[in-house]
Amino acid sequence: MSQAHEQNDEHGSMQSYVVGFLLSLLFTFIPYIMVVNQTFTGTKLLVTIICFAMVQLVIQVTFFLHLGRGPKPKWNLYFFISTIGVVAFVVGGSIFIMNNLHYNMSPSDKLKKIANDEGIYQVGGKATGACQGQHANHKVTIKNSAVSPLQTDADKCDTLTIINEDDYEREIAFGVHPYHDVYAGETELVIRPGKSKTITLSEAGTFSFHDHLQPETSGKFTVSE
Amino acid sequence: MVGQAISHHEEEANDRVMFGFWVYLMTDLLMFAVLFAVYAVLHRNTVGGESGHELFSLPLALSGTLLLLTSSFTVGIAMIAARRGNKAQTLLWFGVTFALGLAFLCLELWEFSTLIGEGHTMQTNAFLSSFFVLLGTHGIHIIFGLLWMGITITYIMKRGLNSNMVRKLSMLSLFWHFLDIVWIFIFTIVYLGAFV
Repeated sequence: MSQAHEQNDEHGSMQSYVVGFLLSLLFTFIPYIMVVNQTFTGTKLLVTIICFAMVQLVIQVTFFLHLGRGPKPKWNLYFFISTIGVVAFVVGGSIFIMNNLHYNMSPSDKLKKIANDEGIYQVGGKATGACQGQHANHKVTIKNSAVSPLQTDADKCDTLTIINEDDYEREIAFGVHPYHDVYAGETELVIRPGKSKTITLSEAGTFSFHDHLQPETSGKFTVSE
Repeated sequence: MVGQAISHHEEEANDRVMFGFWVYLMTDLLMFAVLFAVYAVLHRNTVGGESGHELFSLPLALSGTLLLLTSSFTVGIAMIAARRGNKAQTLLWFGVTFALGLAFLCLELWEFSTLIGEGHTMQTNAFLSSFFVLLGTHGIHIIFGLLWMGITITYIMKRGLNSNMVRKLSMLSLFWHFLDIVWIFIFTIVYLGAFV
């Protein structure tokens, strides 16, 4: 019944909207710049930008929707929180379940890699051929698009580390371009600049690999029993 | 007349209607959450084709985000004007919101038509299916919001503002804010996520 109704916290004041707008802009530009400049990479960056999104959600819900403000019973707020709970459960649960299925239903050419990764050395009394114990490591460096060494000789169950010392990403595929083979359950290795990836040489024979994005960059390796 | 206090009874009715609309928005949020879950599961299934990394334009996505964010701000200003009973300002700011929303929609339609023109359609792979459904659903909500806004603006021009109208405008602005909030996550998870 009083003029105070107009100033009520439940509806916005100009100040509330301006602050909310400026904060939202900030929380939009910061993750954008982080992704464009790749300040972090991989999971770290993903988690960071999602956190920024969550904070912007709270900013907008507070400054634009005025949730939880005002003297009345906070039904809207409670219902919002319970919906977020359901969302977290449904989304998180779906991703967890699907990831689990994806892993457990891997095609047969991946089983070798899984056996190695999980240390499954025998199934039903029969050896899987999975590697165990310490073995030698072989390093292959790719710099200025040159592979060094071009030929690696290793024993079975040694490990091979491919290092990308150029400043762009490489997609290492096995086989001769344009074919992509699967080696020991590994399909493609995406190696970011400055990083490396390691595989276990659990299959014997002579094999080759190449950068799918730049096929002249290639190398060979021989694995002896 | 708006600008003076409304009765306690009317205020209670308002609260009930607003809560009901809020419940609807929460169920809508849940639907979007499920579409996000689907995208999260399927976004790598490109059948060897191009991923978001190759197809999306970050500057384009940022432009759309800024348009929609600004429109969420201007609809807030419009509501301040509406609660003060200022018809001219209300119409002006809802008009600006409408224009920004329309610009956003055009940008998104342009992006879709470019993708489809290059052969990246809903039928191409699971990644694109989930992309088009998620963004398309948001886009359809935007279209409905714009229609609602257009009709409302026309009504106010002809019949003026009253407390009933302000309540309807509250729901419209709530809807519009909600769409911007959903878009924050589309921008982050779909567009920024593709370049992580």
